[in-house]
Amino acid sequence: MNMVDAVPLPWVLAVAAGLFCIGLFGALSRRNTVGILLGVELMLNAVNLNLIAFWRYLEPNVVAGQVFALFIITVAAAEAAVGLAMIIAIYRTRLTVNADEVDSLKG
Amino acid sequence: MNILIMVIFVVLAAFTLAAGVMVVTVKNIIHAALWLIASFFSVAAMYLLMEAEFIAIVQVLVYVGAISILVLFAIMLTRHVTGEGVRQLYKRWWIALIVAAALFGVLIVPTVFNYEWAVQPSGAQISIASTVEIGTAFMREYLLPFEVASVLLLVALIGAIVIAFEERSTRRRVLTLAEEVEQRRQRNESLRLAPTTHASETSE
Amino acid sequence: MPDIQIPSIDLGVSLQLLIIFGGAMVLLLADLFSGEGNKRIVGYIALLFVVGAAAAGVPYWDAPRSTFNGMLVLDNFALTLNWIFLLSTAITILISLEYLPRQGIERGEYYALLLFALGGMMLLAQGTDLIVLFLGLELLSITLYVLAGFAYPRLSSEEAAMKYLLIGAFAAGFLVFGIALLYGATGTSSLAGIANKLGSGLAADDVAFMLAGAALVIIGFGYKISMAPFHMWTPDVYEGSPTPVAAFMSVGTKGAGFAALARLLLVALGSQYATWGLILAILAAVTMVIGNVSAVAQTNVKRMLAYSSIGHAGYILMGVLSAGSPAAANRGIEGFLFYLLAYSLTNLGAFAVLIALEQRGEAAWSLDDFAGLWHRQPFLAIAMALCMFSLAGVPPTAGFWGKFYVFTAAWEAGLQWLAVVGVITSAIAAFFYLRIIVQMFMRDPVREISPSLDRNLMIGVGLAALGVIVFGISPTPVIDLVQGSVLALSR
Repeated sequence: MNMVDAVPLPWVLAVAAGLFCIGLFGALSRRNTVGILLGVELMLNAVNLNLIAFWRYLEPNVVAGQVFALFIITVAAAEAAVGLAMIIAIYRTRLTVNADEVDSLKG
Repeated sequence: MNILIMVIFVVLAAFTLAAGVMVVTVKNIIHAALWLIASFFSVAAMYLLMEAEFIAIVQVLVYVGAISILVLFAIMLTRHVTGEGVRQLYKRWWIALIVAAALFGVLIVPTVFNYEWAVQPSGAQISIASTVEIGTAFMREYLLPFEVASVLLLVALIGAIVIAFEERSTRRRVLTLAEEVEQRRQRNESLRLAPTTHASETSE
Repeated sequence: MPDIQIPSIDLGVSLQLLIIFGGAMVLLLADLFSGEGNKRIVGYIALLFVVGAAAAGVPYWDAPRSTFNGMLVLDNFALTLNWIFLLSTAITILISLEYLPRQGIERGEYYALLLFALGGMMLLAQGTDLIVLFLGLELLSITLYVLAGFAYPRLSSEEAAMKYLLIGAFAAGFLVFGIALLYGATGTSSLAGIANKLGSGLAADDVAFMLAGAALVIIGFGYKISMAPFHMWTPDVYEGSPTPVAAFMSVGTKGAGFAALARLLLVALGSQYATWGLILAILAAVTMVIGNVSAVAQTNVKRMLAYSSIGHAGYILMGVLSAGSPAAANRGIEGFLFYLLAYSLTNLGAFAVLIALEQRGEAAWSLDDFAGLWHRQPFLAIAMALCMFSLAGVPPTAGFWGKFYVFTAAWEAGLQWLAVVGVITSAIAAFFYLRIIVQMFMRDPVREISPSLDRNLMIGVGLAALGVIVFGISPTPVIDLVQGSVLALSR
C-alpha cells in the first residue's frame, strides 16, 4: 500500500510539468509584480514536486532529492523576501506595482 | 487500496492544477495569493502521499507560513493599487499562453511517452530515507550546500533591510485604519469639489 | 540514532572562499563601528581581503584537489577564474570608493554585499555539483538584485533592480527545473556522476529526456550571461544600476555564468557535444549579431556598452563551445579564459571612465559629452581609447589576442562560419567604438563638463588600462597562465 504501486511516475511528472507551465504563464502574462512572483513560486513548487517524485520512485533510500528540495525552498524564501521588500520600496516612491508602468527606461 | 490512493492522487492533482490556474488568472491579487496557499497545501498533501513527511511539513511552514504571509502583507501594504478594477494581464497574454503550452508539449513528450522509468519493483520492501538521514546528510555529504544556504539567507536578510529600510528622518508614518478612512473621505470630498485635481492625489 | 561525524575537510580548497565570506562578515562589523559619512575605510578593508584571497590561492597552483565529497574543487581552471574575479572585484571597489559618497548613496553594506557576490562567483568557478552551482548562482543573483537597487531612491535604479529580480527569479525557475530533470534522468547531481552515467550509455530515450533538462539549464544560464534570445533585460538593468554595479555585473555575472556553463557542458555533457555544439554555435552567432548591431544605434554610451557586452557574450560563448570539440578542446578553454580576462579589464576600464563623467544628479553619457575629452582630461581620454581599441579587438591590446584566440579555436573546431561571423560582427563593432575615439580626440567640447577624477578612480582606470596594453604587448604570461589552466580540466 503505497503510492509507487498505485500511481505511475509519469502521472506525477505530468502534474509537475503542468504546474510549471501554469506558473510560467502567470509569470509571463501578469502585469502586477506580485502576480509575477506568485507565478515564479508555482514554478518552484513544480520543481520540488518533480524532485520528490524522482526521489520516491527512483531511489528512495538516498536523500539527494529531498535535500535538493529543501535547498530550493530556502532559495525561494530568500528570493521572495528580497522581492517583496523591493516591491514595498518601489511602491513607497512610485505608488504603482505594475511591471509595465515601472518603466522609465526605454526598452 | 491502490485504487483509493490513485483516486486521492487524482483529486489532489486536479485541485493543485485548478488552484494554479486560479492563481494566474483571477482578477483580485489577494484572491490569487489565497489560491496559491491552497495549491501549496495540496502539493504538501502529495508529499505526504509520497511519504516525504519532513518536506511536507517544511512546505507548509515555509511556503504557507512564511512566503504566503509575506506576499499577503506586501499586497496589503500596497493595496491602493493592487485591488480590483485594475487590469491584471498584459494585453498580449495569449503569447504567454502559447509559450507555456509549447513548453508543456516539449516537456510532456519525453516525460510520459518515451521514458522507461527504472521504477523499483513493486511490493518489494524498500527502505525510505528518514528525516534523521536528511539531518545527517546535511552534516556530511551536503555540508557545503548547507553552509552556502546559510550565507544565502544572511544575504537575503541584509538585502531586504538595505532595500526597505529608510532613514528615520525620511520615514513615512504608517497610517492607522481610522486615519486612512478619514483621508479617503477627505479625498472623495475634494474629488467631488474639484474633479480635475484628483491626479495629484496620492496616498500620503 | 547515528553519530554525526563531520567529515574531514581540506580547508585549502575552500581557503579563498573562507577569506571572502569571513571578510564580508568582518565588513558588516566594521560598518557598524565606522562613523557616518566615512565608509571608505570599509572599502579599504574589503580591498585588503580581496588581495589576501588572491595571494592565498598562489600555493595551490598546479595542485588540483577537491573536498566536501567532491563538490568543491580547486584546479588551475578554477584558480585562474578566481583570480580574474578577484581582480574584477578589486577594480570595482576602487572605482566605487568615491562614487558612492558623490552620489549620496554611501553605505557600508555595499562592500560586504560585493564580497558576498564575489563568493558566489567563486563557488560557480569551483563547484562541481549542480546543487552547489545553483546555490552559488542564487547567492550571486540575490546580492546583485540588492546592489542594482542600491541607488535608492533614484527611480531608474529601483526599476533596474525590480526588472533584474523578476527576470532572475524566472530564469532560476528554468534552471532548477532543468536540474531536476537531469537529476531524474541520471540519478545524480554531481557533474562527474552525470558524465559517468552518460559514458556508460543511456538508452536513446533517456538521452532525449536528459537533453530536455540540459536545454532548460542552458536557458537558465543563458539569462545570466545575456545570451540571445534571453538578453532583453541587459540594457535596461545596466543603465539603471549604479555605474560601478553595472560594471561589476557586466564582467562578474557573465564570467561566473560562463565558468559554470563551461564546467557543465565540458565535464558533464562533454559526450553530447554533437547535440549542443551546433545549437550553441547558432545562438552565439545570433548573440554577436544582435548585440553589435543594436549597439550601433545607441547614442547613450552606457546603453551602448550594455549592448556591446551582449555581443562579447557571444564571443566568449564561441570559446566555450569550441572547447567541446575534441579538435579544439584546449584552444577553446584557453580562448575563453584569455577573452574573459581581457574583457573584464577592458569593460571595467570603460565603465570607470563613465563614472568619472557622471555628476551627481545628472549623468553625462551621451556621445556628445565625450567630445573633446582629450583637451580636458588627457588621461581619461587615453584610457578610454585603449579600452575602446581593446573592445574592438585592435592590436596591440589584450582584446585583440582574446578575439584571435577564440576565432582560431572556432576555426579548429570546424566552425569556420562562426569565426567568419565573429570577424564580420567585430568589424561592425569597430564602427561604434571608433566613433567614441573620434569624438574624444577630434571634436571640440560641446558642453561644459568637469570630469571628477579622484585618486582611487585614477588607480582603478589606470590598472585596467595598463592591463589592457601590457597584456596586449606581451601576452606571454597570460598565455602561460591559461595554458596551465587547460590541462587541469581535461585531467
